[in-house]
Amino acid sequence: MTATPSLAGHMALHGVDHTARPTWKLRETVEFYRDILGLKLVHAITAKGWGREKEEHADFIHFFFDSGKESCIAFFYYIGTQQPPELVVPKGYMAMANHTAWRVETEEELLIWQKRLEEKGVKVSQFVKHEILESIYFRDPNFYPLEITRSLRDMEALDAVDAEMTITAALSLEDSKRWTNIEQLWRAKADFVRKRQQEAETRVAS
Amino acid sequence: MSGFYVLDVAEFDPLIRAAEQHRDCRVHPVIAGYRYVEFDGTIEITRESTGLGEAVWFGCLTAGLDGKITSFTSQAIKLAPTNEPVLGVQEMRA
Repeated sequence: MTATPSLAGHMALHGVDHTARPTWKLRETVEFYRDILGLKLVHAITAKGWGREKEEHADFIHFFFDSGKESCIAFFYYIGTQQPPELVVPKGYMAMANHTAWRVETEEELLIWQKRLEEKGVKVSQFVKHEILESIYFRDPNFYPLEITRSLRDMEALDAVDAEMTITAALSLEDSKRWTNIEQLWRAKADFVRKRQQEAETRVAS
Repeated sequence: MSGFYVLDVAEFDPLIRAAEQHRDCRVHPVIAGYRYVEFDGTIEITRESTGLGEAVWFGCLTAGLDGKITSFTSQAIKLAPTNEPVLGVQEMRA
């Protein structure tokens, strides 16, 4: 019997290979990503379904645009199908949570992207600074939300400590079944931060 | 004691600077990555006094609150002491 190799200490992800979503606007999607954004079309798969006849899987094209650092944004075009209503991107902030954010390195690069999008007739937001990122926002022809962002500072070990306390407090609130607002979280989290400070002071004193 | 915690990272520095200038706030030194901004009674901090953009402003209490929010708008936040139980923490303590 072969022992399962241990992955402990060796298991890691190495960035995004690709993300993918369906489109029912082939021409507009190609024109947007290839011609407006200028992303290189780098790969396309065409296939007779996946051989999944029971599902009546449509024949399709699966095509990839290079989005830098060996990552791609990809699409499926299902030939001869209609877009199911549940896959129409809804308006409103909740559906915007499902988005792609690409990285640039400098403010100048962000400005160049903003200008290019505006010149090409794409409605694009102003710069928005949100904690460790500064971003512009826009939509593709499928109404998929897109973001281009630059990092304002590196994430520190303290950010992870803080995130852990936030999520631990949030999980306890979710379990309570009575969680309705952010004030409840902030009050619960204060308890974790206070304990962290007390433990640090105890260590210093001892 | 009423107050709020502030994570010791760059984007929240303007909040600390505003609290240091606020007559009703006492800013404690950094311990384990957090400052405590203590206040007595009710206080109001205006966004203008911090110079924060809205995105960070609306998350400015993310490190924790000992107190109660009586008003939170894009212009100002008003905080007050409270004895109301803390949801979640009470269940964990029980």
